[in-house]
Parts: sequence; structure tokens; C-alpha cells
Amino acid sequence: MSNIPEDLKYTKDSEWIRMDDEFNATCGITDHAQEMLTDIVFVELPETGMEVAQGEQVGVVESVKAVSNVYSPLSGRIAGVNQALENSPELLNGDPYGEGWIFKIEVKSPGELDSLMNADAYAAHIEPEK
Amino acid sequence: MIQRTALHGEHLALKGRMVDFAGWELPVMYSSIIEEHNATRTKAGLFDVSHMGEVIVKGTGAESFLRRLIPTRLSKLAPGTSMYSCLCRDNGGVVDDIFIFMVSETEYYIVVNAATLDGDLDWMRTHATGDTEIIDVSAETSKIDLQGPASGDILKKVVGDERAGSMGRFQFFHTDYKGVRMMVSRTGYTGENGYELFVPNDLAVPLWRDILGAGEAYGIRPVGLGARDTLRLEAAYSLYGHELSDTITPVEAGLGWLVTSADDYIGRGVLAGQKENGAPRALICFELEGRGVPREHCKVIKDGVGIGISTSGGFSPTFKKGIGMALVRAGSLGIGDWFSLVVRDNPVPARVVKRPFYAFNG
Repeated sequence: MSNIPEDLKYTKDSEWIRMDDEFNATCGITDHAQEMLTDIVFVELPETGMEVAQGEQVGVVESVKAVSNVYSPLSGRIAGVNQALENSPELLNGDPYGEGWIFKIEVKSPGELDSLMNADAYAAHIEPEK
Repeated sequence: MIQRTALHGEHLALKGRMVDFAGWELPVMYSSIIEEHNATRTKAGLFDVSHMGEVIVKGTGAESFLRRLIPTRLSKLAPGTSMYSCLCRDNGGVVDDIFIFMVSETEYYIVVNAATLDGDLDWMRTHATGDTEIIDVSAETSKIDLQGPASGDILKKVVGDERAGSMGRFQFFHTDYKGVRMMVSRTGYTGENGYELFVPNDLAVPLWRDILGAGEAYGIRPVGLGARDTLRLEAAYSLYGHELSDTITPVEAGLGWLVTSADDYIGRGVLAGQKENGAPRALICFELEGRGVPREHCKVIKDGVGIGISTSGGFSPTFKKGIGMALVRAGSLGIGDWFSLVVRDNPVPARVVKRPFYAFNG
């Protein structure tokens, strides 16, 4: 059973976002996503400073078995990336909501959050995949 | 309908992540592909490959039948030994790659791929003469592979037969396991020393549990199909539908050493010609220079021109880099040459390396 924290918002592509304050957020991929991908061996991170639109591809996660794009849950500016993933991509498998975070974003339009799923909706969304 | 092996319940109990593989529900992994891969390289891994097909070819015509079907010199075999070969079509393309176990002068045991079993049976029955019997025993046979440096020690504990410790590579024997006939072969497809065990389905669960129990002290792990693929890729072993197919000959696939028969076998015109004069395409092994994971069907480009396509690719847990095999125009690339591999629309630098990536350890 995947871990789906209640305090996060989710995209249909299995990214999560945690609002750190009103305009700053941390993003990553969900426990379900890392489970589906299996052992993650490479992460391509976005560049700090780049402006991204909601749903825009910002990175790539490659596992032994598969490859998956990472999309930004919201519009904004990439404010930081988790450099530790370059040498330790397995952090994404071990701690997807903690040490395995992927990027931070300065949120342009917090209203976009309303378009994302809460934990219950996301749990229902991934149910058919199990 | 999706099929299940006799070990299905064991996989679920071990929390295997089940996937549909060629119509069979099998575990892609239990905990981690990389951990299972590394366990097989350094300790021991246990695989359920019961989906594979087993066919007995027997009768006074069995030998001449096989001489007609395979491009490999059959006299290489003696009773109790096995070899890798393939079934070819007239055009040299491959019906399937197979393992042939010579039981006696009039009986051979053939292991084939799961997805190609029906086609193989059709092919064999079409070419069989009245003095050759083709018996499909796939449905009642379970195949369990024990692979890795500790596999010999573990096997000896499970099989109370002194031959288990002294058999050479590609040798096999039949023994008694819990009162039932079991075939034990020192073969496998991981690049490690190891054994393939063939038992009736009823015995699969006890054997599986016995091996896991005996192997516990050696750090054995059940291994899923994910690591099976990374292991065979590192060993640069061919996979049907990838390196070998209806349209790829064994000579093109770098398996010219299989083409040794002097008999009038099916495909001889093409294969002997390719062996003597060269084939239009050649299989290369490559590694990526930078980060990233190559997959199959990536375009191979040299000097701006497409010269081939990757047939397999993946992340090598042993070498910690992207590796793969590709079928390219003959003579276009040699060991050490650089080219571009188009991975997800991006050309990335790749280098031709010697085959295999990982040499047989045993």
C-alpha cells in the first residue's frame, strides 16, 4: 500500500507538492510513482531559475525498468533543486516525500493549487493501476 | 487467459510484484531489481522460469530430425550434455533460440521460449518424420533456476547426489528428489555459475522452499524477471525478439559460432554464405558515456547517418552505467568507436565495447 500523506497535493502524473509558505513549495514524485518505476538510477533535474508553466516537463526520472517525465504541479520559478539526487538517485525510492524531494518552486499563481488532487482523490486516481 | 506457474502462491507470499509477461503472471521483482541482480552476482538468486517451454524429441529419427533443424554440429553433444542453438528458417531468420539436452541417442530435451512455444511446436511437427515423436511437456514441468557463486554449495545441500558438486558446465543428470525424477543441469542465462532444475509441477513448491531454506545462510534471494533481464544483458546473451528474430540471423547476431553443421540444415544456404562472406549487419555492444539509460529501438547514428538500431538496453547494476546491444550495418563500427545513440529524441555519445560486458563467472 502506497504512502499518500494527507497534507500534500497531487497531480495525475504522480507528482506531489507541499506548500512551505504562501508562495514557496517543494515538489517530488509520489511513493506510488517510485514503486511503479522500481530502482531509480538517474534523475535529470531542472535548472534553478527557469520559469515553468503548470504541467510543463521539468525533469526526468530513469529507473532500471522504465523512464518517466517529471512535470511541474504549478506555474512558477524553479527556486532550487535537490543536488543529492545526482549521486544518490535511490533517495527517491527510500524517502520520496523527504530526502527524495526533487525541486523547489516559487509559486506564481497559488490559485492553481485548486486544480490538484488531495490525498483521497489521488488514492482513487491510482487505484486502477494496482 | 493469463497463465500462472505452480509457484504463483510463493511469489505472492514473498510479495513479488506480479506483471503479465508473455501471457504469464510472474514477478518482475520482489524488493529491488538492483538488489536481486547483485545477490545473483555475489551470492545466489532463485528464479521461477516455469513459463518457458520444454519439448521432448524422441525416436530413431530424433537425431536426423535435429540435424535438419539446427545449424550447429549435433555431434558436439554426448548423452548428459547440452548446448545452445537455434531453429532457423530458410532465409536464416530464427524461429527461436533453444537449449538442447541430449538424454540419449534417441531422446533430446529441448527448452524453448515461452512466447514462441506454439510456433516452435508447429515448426517441429511440420518437419518431423514418422520416426520422430515431439512431446510438449511444458504444462506439467516447472523450471527453477539457481544461479550465483554460492549456487553449487546450496545445490549440494538440497540434492543429495554427489554429481551435483562435480558436474561440468553444460552437463546435466537426472536424480531422485522426494521420490520423483528431477533434471539438474549446470546451465543458466545470467553470466554466473548456476543450475537449472526441471521438476513436475507438484514438486515445484517443495523444491523452491528447500532451496530458499538451504540458501538462507548464503544470502540467497528470490529474483524476478527485471533482474533476469539486467543479468543476461550484462552477459550479452541474446534474447529472442531482440537480438534474434524472424528477420535477424544468428550470424548477424554475433552467434556465428552456432553455425558449424556440415549437414543440410534449414537455412544453410543463407547462414553458411553469411559466415563465409559476411552478413549485412552486425551486433555490437555499447556503453553510454554519460548518464542516462538506453533502451531498445534507439537509433544508432554515425557521422549524421542512421546505421542501425539498439536491440536491448538498460542500466547495468554491476558497472553502474547504461549499456546495450545494437544491430548496425556491417563494418560501420569497431571496438572503441564512438557514435550517437538517440535516447528519447536526444543524441547521446556511446562507445562500442567488447562483448560481453560481464564475462562468465564460474
